[in-house]
Amino acid sequence: MIEFGHFALALAWILAFGASITGVVLGSRAKAQLGQIEVVRRATMAVAACLGCALVALGYSFVTNDYTVQYVWQYSNRSMPWIYKVTAIWGGMDGSMLLWCFLVALFASFVARASVSYPRPLVPALLGFLNTSALFFTSITLFFTNPFRYLKTPVLMPDGNGLNPLLQNEYMAIHPPMLYLGFTGLFIPYAFCMAALASGHLSNDWVRLTRRWTLIGWTFLTAGIVLGGHWAYLELGWGGFWAWDPVENASFLPWLTATAFLHSVMVQERKGMLKLWNVFLVTLTYALTVFGTFLTRSGIVQSVHAFASTDIGWTFLLYLGLIFVVAVALVIRRRHELSPQRTIESLFSREAIFLLNNLVLLSICFAVLWGVMFPVFSEALTGQKQTVGIPFFNAVNVPLFLLLVFLMGVGPVIAWKRSSLRLMVRSFAVPFLGAFVVGVALVWAGVTEFYPVLAYSIAFFVLMTILGELQRGLGAQAAATGAATLAPSNAVALFRRQRMRYGAHLIHFGVLVMTVAITASMAHKVEREFTLSSGEKYSVGRFELELQEFHDEEQANYDAVQAHVALKSLKDGSLLEVMAPEMRFYRKNKENTTEVALRMGQREDVYLVLAGIDETGTRASFKIFINPLQVWLWYGAIIMVLGGFVMALPLPRQATAEERSRGRAEQPA
Amino acid sequence: MGKIFISLVSLFIVVGAALIYSSTTGTSSLVLLPSELVAKAEAKDLRRIRIGGRVIDPISYQTEPSMVLRFSVKDPKGGEQAVPVVYEGLKPDMFAAGRDVLIDGDFVGGTVRAAKLQTQCPSKYEPAVPGAQQQAPKE
Repeated sequence: MIEFGHFALALAWILAFGASITGVVLGSRAKAQLGQIEVVRRATMAVAACLGCALVALGYSFVTNDYTVQYVWQYSNRSMPWIYKVTAIWGGMDGSMLLWCFLVALFASFVARASVSYPRPLVPALLGFLNTSALFFTSITLFFTNPFRYLKTPVLMPDGNGLNPLLQNEYMAIHPPMLYLGFTGLFIPYAFCMAALASGHLSNDWVRLTRRWTLIGWTFLTAGIVLGGHWAYLELGWGGFWAWDPVENASFLPWLTATAFLHSVMVQERKGMLKLWNVFLVTLTYALTVFGTFLTRSGIVQSVHAFASTDIGWTFLLYLGLIFVVAVALVIRRRHELSPQRTIESLFSREAIFLLNNLVLLSICFAVLWGVMFPVFSEALTGQKQTVGIPFFNAVNVPLFLLLVFLMGVGPVIAWKRSSLRLMVRSFAVPFLGAFVVGVALVWAGVTEFYPVLAYSIAFFVLMTILGELQRGLGAQAAATGAATLAPSNAVALFRRQRMRYGAHLIHFGVLVMTVAITASMAHKVEREFTLSSGEKYSVGRFELELQEFHDEEQANYDAVQAHVALKSLKDGSLLEVMAPEMRFYRKNKENTTEVALRMGQREDVYLVLAGIDETGTRASFKIFINPLQVWLWYGAIIMVLGGFVMALPLPRQATAEERSRGRAEQPA
Repeated sequence: MGKIFISLVSLFIVVGAALIYSSTTGTSSLVLLPSELVAKAEAKDLRRIRIGGRVIDPISYQTEPSMVLRFSVKDPKGGEQAVPVVYEGLKPDMFAAGRDVLIDGDFVGGTVRAAKLQTQCPSKYEPAVPGAQQQAPKE
């Protein structure tokens, strides 16, 4: 099976090589034959098929415990449940690079499939650029991190080494693939943009076509990042979900620039402005995904997730350089066609607010990048390595984020070009007053810290503007069709008619929910340590905890001790739940881990960690976190992802029919 | 390019740079190896440091009356100098002798007082490949 996998990988490399050369050459010609394009299109799909076969071959070796394969031996053993044997495919670098290539090729093949209806001058270069990216990652996999290698031992290994206990978790099945789907999805806008520049087909087509692909990548990346946070929250036992670790930051950087692009692209579509800016954002987004890979593979910065530091870091750096060189060269070649058709006339216009939004996002991006690279910069400049941590990231990003959320309330409502004072008063007077009242009420209720009060007030302001928008939309829809304003059918009709607009509002609403949840869990978190004997009680917040008993458990790959703790309401003493935080000892790897007991609630999460049991085995120490509104963070994220998918659904039929007819009109030439 | 575009971009560059500068100088900490810490500090105290080191025995972890973890670290790539560390808090997962850790805290009176302690995550968890080193694991 391993030879088959190796062969499929090599074949994919050859196909990607051929397709990228042919695509770029065809793209540089004035006219490409339809047949030639079709060959490249098929080759693009074949690359994905080959890489899919390679991935299946590797998975087969895992599931059948083939310990002649070095990678399988390294990351699995017989006692692991089959699901973790499958997820172990991306448990190490070699397999995760293979998955990465496959996803790049998969996205490329989807674009290739859809490209039948794209403007023809764009297609050959598009396929070429898609394949160069696939070629790069396939080259890395084939030549540097090939998982299809035999273990060089004289005797057959009876059992494998096993997957790291922390990775033996159901999130391992979903978080990395989601994140990779996000990363790989965000290379498509770059391919579109470079193809448009190379072919000179710089109408708004590439922008319009890219938007959907960007949304898909962005949605997956959002889901991947939040799932990572959720996993860390459940597994790592420190009661938080985000620590500004370099690896987290690496996934966050392209998210920021992709978000910026999704906004500025509207300005280009509507007003023909920010063309060069968008090329810059798309290039930066792709470069940052590659940079993230470089960061986690090169070991240049210290991280909790120290990935195997390898010597392939420099290839990523070279590729990163190449991405920028190609972009700059093409921009110089097409500089005249990239000049804006108009300029921003007023600060009180949607285009100006969108530009502001972009600048805030880029500022956050730069600040995070600065924080990540600070050890490297400081050592180069002063000779002494220095670092920054959570306090730095919070100090810089909290005000910027709040500004961003505020703009989220203004941007979608304010008029294009120039807004009149009368319109602004109509749209913002009530929300502004509402936010002010909320702020005063909070201070009166005892919330005196500056940022929480500001955050809640801004969130309320944005909520009011979104609701105001919805009300106006429903009213107009009702007036047009004669339906009742608040009838569900009226809302559905409105949502259908303006899906992009209300999908965006849905995402914004998700951001609001997350903002409130993050503020609450940061500002009002309670953290305590305590020790209990059996029958002893401890009270915190509106809860009382009572240690009941210890319980030993033996699983296939670990031994565990659970402490059963009754969680009761302090008010009436009623039993809410018996919580069972756990300490595990993995026999094979000789590792100790703790399993958090978590009671999620709408008002707050109770997060209980078993810290230790004394020598007599009768007293246990615990750490408890009460995280207010924590669960709303995940709800907010689900709303965001939902909104993303709503927007990324295929365009309504009329639009595609229109594209087709235009495609047909171009073909006879 | 319009005036508004230029002025907004310039404004953000200035304000952003000021924000980043003030936050950096207010929060940055020195990154040191245990041996560098010993050489640099001599008898002095150092505020805001980050130590990347390998945990060595003896490790003591008490949970009463509060959680206190005491251990020493030395350079990850060998080295003789060990620095004692005190961390008041929960022992992190997979903490053990031989593990690499990141410690943020202060160096006071010859001891690192850790405010934050992280065990390096096991993505690093790369076993020695038997064939490559010509020694099979004892099974």
